[in-house]
Amino acid sequence: MADKVRFIIERQDGPNDKPYTQEFDVDYRPGLNVVAALMEIQKNPVTVDGKRVPPVTWECNCLEKVCGACMMVINGRARQACCALVDEIQQPIHLAPARTFPVIRDLLIDRSVMFESLKKIQGWVELDGSWEVKDAPIQNPYTAQTAYEISHCMTCGCCLEACPNVGPQSDFIGPAPTVQAYLFNLHPLGKFDAPKRLNALMEKGGITSCGNSQNCVEVCPKSIKLTTYLAQLNRDVNLQALKNIFNF
Amino acid sequence: MHTTFYLRRLHSLCGLLVLGMVLFEHIFTNSMAMLGPEGLNTALEMMELIPKPIFLGLELGGIAVPLLFHGLYGIYIALQANNNPRRFGYLRNWNFTLQRWTAWFLVVFLIWHVGYLRFYVKGVTGTPISFELLQNFFQNPIVVVLYILGMWAAIFHFCNGITTFCMTWGITKGPRSQNVISVISMCLCAALCLVTVAFMASYFIY
Repeated sequence: MADKVRFIIERQDGPNDKPYTQEFDVDYRPGLNVVAALMEIQKNPVTVDGKRVPPVTWECNCLEKVCGACMMVINGRARQACCALVDEIQQPIHLAPARTFPVIRDLLIDRSVMFESLKKIQGWVELDGSWEVKDAPIQNPYTAQTAYEISHCMTCGCCLEACPNVGPQSDFIGPAPTVQAYLFNLHPLGKFDAPKRLNALMEKGGITSCGNSQNCVEVCPKSIKLTTYLAQLNRDVNLQALKNIFNF
Repeated sequence: MHTTFYLRRLHSLCGLLVLGMVLFEHIFTNSMAMLGPEGLNTALEMMELIPKPIFLGLELGGIAVPLLFHGLYGIYIALQANNNPRRFGYLRNWNFTLQRWTAWFLVVFLIWHVGYLRFYVKGVTGTPISFELLQNFFQNPIVVVLYILGMWAAIFHFCNGITTFCMTWGITKGPRSQNVISVISMCLCAALCLVTVAFMASYFIY
């Protein structure tokens, strides 16, 4: 068994610099994941040629597939680095930044475009006060399961990286922010703003930019049934369009 | 207000309903070639019975305008995609890519098909389309291959369009209903592709 794990990393010194690749060897240990391996490289950033280089930059926080920060392209697939176990993926391991987003340095990307998209679809609930727990409006028990599922979305951006319609060539806000509109439309108070959100989704770059490639649902690390909710939102915007036309 | 939304939905309706009808009319009429020269020629003469102004109106309103809109807006849509089936080789992503590749092929094919047969042969030279004319046209094997590919591209684009239409309009919501429609439309695709081969073959049999 090999005691070394080979990493081929696509690096980039700055937002406008040319990408290049470097290879690193990391000592194998049981349960090694990509984030832990990157930490080893950070401790001793020496390439396989024995050259000492600036350590590889990447982003991570929770290390338990909840925060979404460590999303990168691992062996061609957009996923979280923290739960990418070396034992379960093919070696040598190729790491690259998710180029759907602007690259800041190495594997570090700027995902703020998703935050801007969440603002567009009003991904929050308007409140003008608070209740005692017993007085608060309750979640619909029939949709709570769905709401819980969609609320797992950690805006990691895997679905945007996989979607052929998201990128510099298009203004599509992507599956994750689109489906968040459905989450807030399900909320007992959020539903009052449902027409606002649906109207926002009817704008350029909204749900109509979805081309049904369905890559999003394949790559979602939280297994959110994105395409099902996109179809539901398609129903909802069609109905909203009729409401707009006939003013009911 | 919401111009993109209405244009997209119109693009969807126009493709499935109007251009779908055009495709079916083509397959139906051309299938008459399987009955031999008289079969196709009778069908074509029947169409000539439609009064000229109505026929021209149908061609303009039922084919030219929807086709131009669907084609031009479709080019705009296709340009917004960065096809990635090699990175994400899932079936639906391949269909997504094929939808766009067939679209590009059809843009070129239809310019040639409409430009030559409708504008040049029927319009400029005034020659009525007949079994014999097509048989002569199909003497060139390259033309035959391109026409079969053109039909297959149109049929796939239409049938995959049924699947995505159902998603876009929220008719099929969950993966199971989407798969059912997908299987049905791909069966239709295979059947229509075989019909195409059958009527194309009849030009070499009779």
